[in-house]
Amino acid sequence: MDARLRRVNKEISDCKNDKTSNISVELVDNSPFHLIGSFLGPEETPYEGGHFQVDIIIPDSYPFQPVKMKFITKLYHPNVSSASGAICLDILKDAWSPVLTLKSTLISLQSLLCSPEPNDPQDAEVAKHYMTSRASFEETARYWTHIYAGGPGKDGKKSGKTGDSRDEVAMAGLDKAHVDKFEALGFERSKVIDVLRRLNYRGANVAKLNDDRIVEELLK
Amino acid sequence: MSSDYELSDNEYYDEDDDEVMYDDEDGSASEMDVDFRISPNTKVKSYEIDFDSLSQAQVEKQISQDVEDISGIFGVEPEVASLLLRNYNWNKERLIEKYMDSATAVSIAAGLALPEKPDSSSRSRATQSQPVGAVRRTTRRNTNEQPKSGKTKILERVTPPLDDQPFVCPICFDDSQTKTMSLQCNHKFCTECWNAYTTSKIRTEAEHWITCMAEDCKLVATDDFVKSALKDDADVFTRYQELVVRHYVSCNKNLKYCPYPSCTHTVSCPAGASKSALTTIVPIVTCGASAGHKFCFGCNVDADHRPVVCGVAKMWLQKCQDDSETANWIKSNTKECSKCQSTIEKNGGCNHMTCKKCKYEFCWVCMGPWTEHGTAWYSCNRYDEKASIDARDAQSRSRASLERYLHYYNRWANHEQSAKLSVELYTKTERKMEEMQITSDMTWIEVQFMKKAVDEVFKCRMTLKWTYAMAYYLEKNNQKELFEDNQRDLERAVEELSELIESSIDPESALPLRQKVTDKTVYVQKRNEIMLEDTANGFLEGRWKWNMSIDGFDEPTEYAY
Ligand SMILES: [Zn+2]
Ligand SMILES: [Zn+2]
Ligand SMILES: [Zn+2]
Ligand SMILES: [Zn+2]
Ligand SMILES: [Zn+2]
Ligand SMILES: [Zn+2]
Repeated sequence: MDARLRRVNKEISDCKNDKTSNISVELVDNSPFHLIGSFLGPEETPYEGGHFQVDIIIPDSYPFQPVKMKFITKLYHPNVSSASGAICLDILKDAWSPVLTLKSTLISLQSLLCSPEPNDPQDAEVAKHYMTSRASFEETARYWTHIYAGGPGKDGKKSGKTGDSRDEVAMAGLDKAHVDKFEALGFERSKVIDVLRRLNYRGANVAKLNDDRIVEELLK
Repeated sequence: MSSDYELSDNEYYDEDDDEVMYDDEDGSASEMDVDFRISPNTKVKSYEIDFDSLSQAQVEKQISQDVEDISGIFGVEPEVASLLLRNYNWNKERLIEKYMDSATAVSIAAGLALPEKPDSSSRSRATQSQPVGAVRRTTRRNTNEQPKSGKTKILERVTPPLDDQPFVCPICFDDSQTKTMSLQCNHKFCTECWNAYTTSKIRTEAEHWITCMAEDCKLVATDDFVKSALKDDADVFTRYQELVVRHYVSCNKNLKYCPYPSCTHTVSCPAGASKSALTTIVPIVTCGASAGHKFCFGCNVDADHRPVVCGVAKMWLQKCQDDSETANWIKSNTKECSKCQSTIEKNGGCNHMTCKKCKYEFCWVCMGPWTEHGTAWYSCNRYDEKASIDARDAQSRSRASLERYLHYYNRWANHEQSAKLSVELYTKTERKMEEMQITSDMTWIEVQFMKKAVDEVFKCRMTLKWTYAMAYYLEKNNQKELFEDNQRDLERAVEELSELIESSIDPESALPLRQKVTDKTVYVQKRNEIMLEDTANGFLEGRWKWNMSIDGFDEPTEYAY
């Protein structure tokens, strides 16, 4: 049997037989080389209660070249692109070793959710948010978990995938009062949200950005 | 050739202080400079540079010399010496110094010895014997014991073999494999996996530094180990050796690997190796392959960008890239006749256009009437700065600055396009040469003047092309005037020769045409020499002033907008 296939099959069955780590993998289109992995968000983090899915491609030269992984579930995290789900993690690049497995890599992803590395960001805007105001960042990450990963909302209720309407201000991690203020000047709400998010109008940064600067940006 | 090279031992890149090392170290750099200028077989023209081409075998010979030296001094195997050198970027002096300090530390850092951890074996045994399922869940509780995230830790290892059980390769999970290999660390893997891994590292990652497959194991494979891991795949091993040579070359600032795909030649050019030299010379070199690939030693552009220096060439190419959308329309091969508006397609290198419909004669570049181009006030190459100086408000100023750029870009692109069209011109010329052999009494040798003329036109268009990049950045002063005079003279000569080549031939005119073309070719050659020589001298004398700040040069007194 093909060495790559034997190895991947064994890895898949290892994941299936493992009941303790809350990791699972499913085949896509019956191919063992395209999988969807999933795990639960770690406890005591903004991702707690969320169910996160990861797209997994096993390259031809596996395990000598790393697996390709990206998040399918949207999440708010400095090392994950909020748009594409691309992940910045060393073992998926040059720190890969052929002895690493699907399971160990997924567990590493799970632990990445516990301890973000904002100095080596994938999503610079999210990383800035994380560095400026941790509390506000965690609130936004929790809100994303609620909206996209089925996590509990503020009041602890599970999100019904369709029921809730999304609050764009919360999605962007902004303060409603700030958005209202600039909207009152006659700018479109979505534009205000976009500008404030880009300029990281949060926490201590709010004092550093004067209104003229914001208006100038809104006029562009 | 080799003498230059050997002198340069102390000029290897040094991560800490490469500039200082090169410029200040007991004047060896300037010594070599002098050496290069008076050496007998050296260049005579100021726009040419002295260099040597080395084959891969020649570089390998130099490498083995270094390896043997270190092997002799340290009393280690040559393959160990090779890895030590590679880990020190082939800087012999530094390696010797550090090795004398602590051979053990150097060996560990180079992946040639295991770090000493008192209880490492028992601890790894303990982790390894954990059942797979025992891997912890990642929660706050144990984040403290883990290294920084983003730089990830190993949370689980594949099931390891126990000593008394049959060997199961921890990578392919095959228990029928009996042959295994391991480095000093004793991390055993089957030979099939070693083979696939080594091949993948070399082929896919172009890596010559092949470490053990175990996570966090830094031990590195020697050439012999790589060879046996590859089994009999000579091709991959050859590629591996080439990668070692490339690494050696990249660590020595006097050497450059030919940038052409799949070429394995190296060029040695100490005179073009320092950054400061690049403000005064343009180190265009040719590799030793039979095709003679031409490239710039200074900036690795795979073309001859004389007469402009690397910094200016780079800025111009970047500008063209940034502004490509705005300027796109110019690149099109068709234009409208400014008189009758019928579409005209350019298909030769000559800029003298005649509309097929209305017979209007005009210049392809400026679309102005051609009659004005034949006279003394031919000024197609000059941008009229006055118009833009008059521009007051920001909007018309930005339009003027775009127009100014387009003026130069238009001419740059035109020469490039005309040079490309010369392929077509070649076939046309060949046909013409055959024709001439029949209609006149000229022999094959005698009709070669046509080919020579075409070659010359091509060469000069390349020079002209870059002179427009240069003129764009030149500060407006007398020097620029003189530069543009030379440019105009060359351009006019080239256009005239271009036109001669494309003119029709009948039996009577063949001989006089031959005379005219030959004379014109000689003249064009001379004009090109003057252009290159004078520009090169200007750089050596520091005569050129810029209208923008350019790396390595004085700040401009007056900025263009
Ligand atoms: Zn194996
Ligand atoms: Zn090892
Ligand atoms: Zn070459
Ligand atoms: Zn260059
Ligand atoms: Zn016409
Ligand atoms: Zn013209």
